[in-house]
Formats: sequence, structure tokens, C-alpha cells
Amino acid sequence: MTSKREKRSWAEPFKIKMVELIKTTTREERERALSEAGYNTFLLKSEDVYIDLLTDSGTNAMSDNQWAGMMLGDEAYAGSVNFYNLERGVQKYYGYKYLIPTHQGRGAEHILSRILIKPGDFIPGNMYFTTTRAHQELAGGTFVDVIIDEAHDSEKVLPFKGNIDIGKLETLIAKVGAKKIPYVCVAATVNMAGGQPISMENIREVRRICSKHGIKVMLDATRAIENAYFIKTREKGYEDKTIAEILHELCSYTDGCTMSGKKDLMVNIGGFLALNDWDLFEEARNMVVLYEGLHTYGGLAGRDMEAMARGIPEAVQFDHIRARIGQVEYVGEHLSMLGVPFVKPIGGHAIFLDAKRFLPHLRQTQLPAQSLAAWLYLEAGIRSMERGIVSAGRDKETGDHHYPKLELVRLTFPRRVYTQAHCDVTIEAVESLFNDRNNLRGLEMTYEPKYLRFFQARFKPLE
Amino acid sequence: MNNPQPHRTIIEPFKIKMVEPLPMLSQSERERILKEAGHNLFLVAAKHVTFDFLTDSGTSAMSAAQWGAMMIADESYAGSQSFERFEKVVKGLTGYPHVIPTHQGRAAERLLFGALVKPGMKVPSNNHFDTTRANIEQLGAEAVDLVIAEGRDPANRHPFKGNIDLKRLEEFCSGFRGRIPLGMLTITNNTGGGQPVSLENLRGAAAIYRKYGIPFILDVCRFAENSYFIKLRETGQNQRNVREIAQETFSLADGCMMSAKKDGLSNIGGFIALKADSWLHTLRSALILTEGFPTYGGLAARDLEAIAVGLEEVLDERYLSYRIAVSQYMGQGLNKIGIPTVQPPGGHAVYIDAKALLPQIPTERFPGQALVCEMYRSEGIRACEVGSVMFGKNSAMELVRLAFPRRVYTQSHFDYVLEGFEGIARRKNELKGFKMVFEPPFLRHFTARFEQVL
Repeated sequence: MTSKREKRSWAEPFKIKMVELIKTTTREERERALSEAGYNTFLLKSEDVYIDLLTDSGTNAMSDNQWAGMMLGDEAYAGSVNFYNLERGVQKYYGYKYLIPTHQGRGAEHILSRILIKPGDFIPGNMYFTTTRAHQELAGGTFVDVIIDEAHDSEKVLPFKGNIDIGKLETLIAKVGAKKIPYVCVAATVNMAGGQPISMENIREVRRICSKHGIKVMLDATRAIENAYFIKTREKGYEDKTIAEILHELCSYTDGCTMSGKKDLMVNIGGFLALNDWDLFEEARNMVVLYEGLHTYGGLAGRDMEAMARGIPEAVQFDHIRARIGQVEYVGEHLSMLGVPFVKPIGGHAIFLDAKRFLPHLRQTQLPAQSLAAWLYLEAGIRSMERGIVSAGRDKETGDHHYPKLELVRLTFPRRVYTQAHCDVTIEAVESLFNDRNNLRGLEMTYEPKYLRFFQARFKPLE
Repeated sequence: MNNPQPHRTIIEPFKIKMVEPLPMLSQSERERILKEAGHNLFLVAAKHVTFDFLTDSGTSAMSAAQWGAMMIADESYAGSQSFERFEKVVKGLTGYPHVIPTHQGRAAERLLFGALVKPGMKVPSNNHFDTTRANIEQLGAEAVDLVIAEGRDPANRHPFKGNIDLKRLEEFCSGFRGRIPLGMLTITNNTGGGQPVSLENLRGAAAIYRKYGIPFILDVCRFAENSYFIKLRETGQNQRNVREIAQETFSLADGCMMSAKKDGLSNIGGFIALKADSWLHTLRSALILTEGFPTYGGLAARDLEAIAVGLEEVLDERYLSYRIAVSQYMGQGLNKIGIPTVQPPGGHAVYIDAKALLPQIPTERFPGQALVCEMYRSEGIRACEVGSVMFGKNSAMELVRLAFPRRVYTQSHFDYVLEGFEGIARRKNELKGFKMVFEPPFLRHFTARFEQVL
């Protein structure tokens, strides 16, 4: 790969200040660990994992500046200075008026769903996300997928595969009526579609339609900074804008956001709900006291609000975000050269291996993605995550599985944690599995929890 | 009651390793700030408070060992080693095999009540705390306080004023058979003045709950302070170590919920621990939806580490002796200058009897709020009203709580505060009441706004 010198230009814009030791394991040890974990990578002990690509959520390396902020935690129950620092940061970079910190992203989703959704409502969104949809359903709503069709085709290369299909959105409004739609939930980027971005043009159009019908637009801003990078590099007219300017414009087309700071903002814990409407804010503030904590700490230690506040200006640095996405692209380009099937184009935070094409001899009910994740761990101690039929859960009406079109294994890259050498090991492991793919068996589920089953389900290999 | 403090001086069993600047403002600055905050101290920025006695929750100074443990935390999303260490400590302490971490105590309450409590049900306890009551009422059930009569009399010096009235509990359980999803006891009894519950009373309550087939859940956020009071005050307990007493306490119940922000000596975190696995799947499913994966529960792994170390440190009897001495010292100091407090002082706080101190202010004009505002205005002290503002018409007393953060303030801070109170005591007849001008629908004390009634 040395011929492509320019591709190396994303060299990390930081040096290492603190390290954490990792363990190498033998195949026999991994066999035992996998079997004890019921072939579910979520149930593996992290000490048995060599390279942990399970998630980019809360697994980031904080900067020395963030750690210094941790030492300035003001742990007062009310009115902590760290809250005001975070509030200022959110107002400046995201542009929303009112801030409610929450212990993490799902805390914000919980509150938003409770205050906006009434039983019988419909919530359109660009592809489901597990916890988001679960909260919407818990509040009595029904999620409606209005993402463009191409998002479900893993081979289709489009610059903005996370876009909302405006036609589908308008059809839904015409069918159920605007009164039954409390808000449109726009994710940027779209995790389940492979970390695919939405375009500025698309969100502007969503805003226009929604304003016409008096429907709110709520952003899942979890990876909005990664989305802003894709807009800068792919959308005409944004080449010369800064990431911060693009982020601000993106948010300006929405009425508020839920945020998991554990992604873009490079913290280990924390999230927030941000809103522009005072009345809504008041309702949310009354609710956060009950479920999370007083509205100036929202269930977070002061130090964690400070670390999140300090993460915002770091996250919008172009050098940072280019290196971040550059690392994912590095792995993707190598896998591509090896012919390994995965979702194209390469997403922002992860490579999504296409398990259906990787293991074409397995039917969807033989859980190709769950199986591939298990065998990748066995091969090299690399932990990944299933995003397929197991994650999709069951239909609340019929009780049958949801059958998602995509059967994916997510290799998710924590921010600033792994080096290029770790990436090379990962590429080699996937290559070796790919060469042996015809011998890989499927799995069957032996224990199935009621909600969000993928977290705790257990499996065994098929004969 | 035997006096545990032969010395007048509070000897801290630690030295200081890290400090934080103490804000000092002028009285006129504080007057402006108080007005902007609608005379609600919850709405005042911490940087404008000199002595923050609002709560002992999450405000502790952690030890070097806790900070050290935080640095080796394993932040993996699933299967973190930090969780294994945390789980081992909680299991070892409580004897309960099933441990569910939560981001803090109220999340533990919400999960447990969400799984068990249905509309029309009743949940007995000695006294329910504010978030506990709100969580139960939110589910359409009733939170019922059955503390002994002595516990409602501020001047009574009963050694275990947190005890539940066993006779009333028996009647209650037999009267509402089938409608009580769980029975509770809060140790120590925060709402009732941080008062302990005796082992004898715990045993009695456990027997009644068992007789009626009611699961017995302890709210244990100050379990170490309660266990230390048992050692000091209960016949036959003097020779046991506090850990043994705590373990016996846990063994009497079917499970517990804990805000680790108190006796966990941490800044965030909590947990549920249970003897049986019958509710486990329901709780874990709800946990994943609203808190986080079962091995982190919405906490950073470093916080699990800090709690694991904190739960061991808090049982050090030299620490507990210092801890209890703080509120005793402050209680005696206030009484000496004519400020009446709930007797005896509690474990984590001193509760000033605002109704007795300010007889000129009627209950509906919030005497507690008046005192809280004056303490801030004149001395920069932040305290918490525990009376009609917090509990509405349910409130039996008009108290102002001075809750002491663990290991944060020194004896010279306390002496300085007591000097400030001398001035307040002299001016007590000039204090005026308040009216509420904005009232949110629940937990109103956090965001309500007030105006002085002249």
C-alpha cells in the first residue's frame, strides 16, 4: 500500500499520552470464551477481547484537555459550572437554545418520546435504530421507515445514502395526516444503513415539507459531526465551509436533537437533549428530574459534563475528523481490494460487512451476521456486532421476526484508540475468514429476551 | 445514648490531596443572584455558593485510591472488567447474588417500581424520600409513611427515630393484603431527619413483610451511617464491627436499591441488588432500554470502580466516627446559639426546625424557604428546604436541612458557618415569608420560583 502515499495523509493529529494493555489469547481460550458467552459477542468479557470493535460508543480515548476538565468537575447538585460550560458549547456549535443533559443518549430519547408521542402516533425516520424505535413504541407510537430505497442495497454507491425519501414522507403525511405525526426523526449519519450521511439539501427539503404541515424535525445528532465531514467532502457548495459551520447549518433546519456524547464528542458517558421551544423545554426539564437527575446535571457527574463540553471544539477540527473517517476508509479500501463484501460507500464510524454475501450458503434464519461475528472473534479475538435479523427484533403486531434487507456485521472503530497496526491485524483476520468462508456454520437462538434481544440472546452453532 | 465523641475537635482520618477554590461573594452580589434565581437555591449557580450544604449526594471528595481506580477503568461497552470488580464488592457486602448498576439511585427506584407497582397499589416505608414518592405516584400508586410517632416530633431524642411503627405496619399489611407490591425501609431515614433504624426494628419489619408475603426492599443509600448508629446505640451491638452489622441488615431484606452518591462515596452511580432472580429479566430489559447495558447501567466504567472502592472505605470506623461527629458538632453548635434542630442530629445532616425558629411566618408562607434564603443572602450558605415546598400538604414539619458533603469541609469551615448563624439568630424576628409564583407539576421544589411577602 506504500504506493498510495497520499492515502496516509490522515496520520493521527495527536500523539499517545496514556496506554492500556491488551491481552492476546489462544484459539482454545477463545473457543471457551465464545461458548460461555452463548456465541453472542455482547456477552464476551472484555478481557478476552484483543481488538474491541463492538462499538464506538463510550469507548473513545479522551484528550489530555478532556482529562484535565475531569479534574475540574464541579460536583454541586445544582448549578454546576460544568453545566454552564456544556450549555455554552451546545449553543455555540449546535445552535440550539435550551439544553438538558442526560446520562446518555437513550436518556434523551426516553424523555423526547415521552413528551412528544401519543398512542397511535407515527414517527417517520431514516431507518430505525434499536433504542430509538423501542422508546417510540413504548410511548405508543409506530416507527415508519422513510429512508431512500437505495439505503437497503449494500452495493449501491451513492454519496448520501442516508437521505430521507421525500416522496415516502409526503405519502405518509397524506395517509395518516400531519396531526398523527409529532415529529420526523432524522439521523445524521444513519447507523443502521452503514454510517451513511444525509445531504444538506435533503434536510433542508425535509424542513420545508415539515414546516408546511406544522410537523417538528428532531435530529439524532449522535454522529452529526461525521455527517458534516461527508457534506464538506461530497456536497457541492460546502467545500470551503468549516465543519463547525456545516454542523451549525445542519442543526438549524431542526427543532431540537437527541445526542449521545459517547460518539462524536469522545467521552465515555453522557448525552443531552437540546430544544428551541421553551414550552417543550419546560416539559422536558420537569421530566428529567424524575428519570435522570436535576436539570443542571441530568444524571451525570460534573466532570463528565466538562469532558463533553471540551470534546465539542476538538470534534469539529477538520484534522481530527479526517483522521477519524480516514481510518475507517483505510480498512474499507483494503477489504475492498480483497473482494470482501461490505456496505458501500464506506461509512463514517464503521465497516459493515455484508454477511448475506459473505456467507451466501446461510439462510437469514440461520443468522449469517450473528455467525460471522462469532467466527471473527474465534479467528482473531476481534469483537464486532451483529446488525441483522437478531438486532431487528420481532414485529409487535404479528410476533414474527422483522426481516431486515441487510444482514450486517459492524466493525466499529473507537475514536483515537487503535493504531494502523491494529487495523492491519483486523484486515488480515477478515481476509483469512473470507478465504475459509464456505466452512463457516450458522447459529440458532437458544434464549431470546423480550426487548432488545440482541444484547442478551444466546446461541449455539448449527450442526 | 452514649456519647461517641470524647474530643471536641473533629479529627479527619485523612489528609488533603487535592483542593478546589472556595467562592466568596459580597452580600450585595448574592442578593442580586438570589433574586435572579427566583429565591430558589436549586437555581443558583454553584460558583456563587460558598458553603454548599444543599445535599450530601454526589458531592463527596473521593480518595486517592478511588481516583487511582478510575484511571484503570475498562470502558468496554460489554463485559467490562470494572463491572466484575464492582459486582464482586456489592455481592460481598450485601450477600445478594444479583447486581444491576444504574446511573443513580432514582433510576434504580424507577426500574424497580416500574416492574412491580401498578395503579391503586400502596407502598409502605418509614418515610419515602422526594424522588421515591414521585416515582411511586407517577405510577398511580400511593407512598405511605409509617414512621414511629417519636420520629415526627423534632424535640424527641429517641435513639432510633427512623424506626417504622410495627403495629401500624402490621395493620396496614393485613388491611391492604394483595395491594402491596413491596415494602420498604429507608436507612437512614432521610426525610425524617437522617435518623437511624435499629436492627430490632429491621427484624420486626422483615418478619411482618414475610408474614404477608411482601418483598422487603431496603433503600440503603446511607447504610454505613445507619450501621454505625446501631453499633453506638443499640444494646448488644457495641462489640460487632460495622461491616457485620451492615451484612446482617442486608440479610433481613429481599433486596436493596442504593444511590452510591451517598455511602458509595462517589459522584455518580447507583444499583439494585436482589436475593432472588424472579424480577431480573424484566429489570434488565427495562435497564437496557432506559439506562444502559447490564454491565455498565449507564455509568462510565470508572464510576463503577470508584463505587467499588468507596463501598469498602465507607465501612472504616475511623471514617464513620468522623462522619457522625460533623453533624453532632454542628447540631450542638446551633443549639448553643438558640437555633432549634431535630434531635438528635442525623447521620448526614442537621435539620433546623424552621417553624420553631420563625414562629412569625405561617406554614403557607414557607418558613423553611425564608430561612434558606436568609442563610444564602447573609452567609453564602446553600441548604435545602424539607417542608411544605418539597412535600406540599404532606409535610409534617418545616425543616431546613444542612447536609454535609463527605470529606469536603473542615472544622474551621464549620466554625465559620456557626459564627454566621449567630447573626442570623439575632435577626430571626425580621425574616419574612414567601409565596410561590411558579409551580411545576411534580418535584416542584427543584424549579419553583418564589417572591418575598413583605
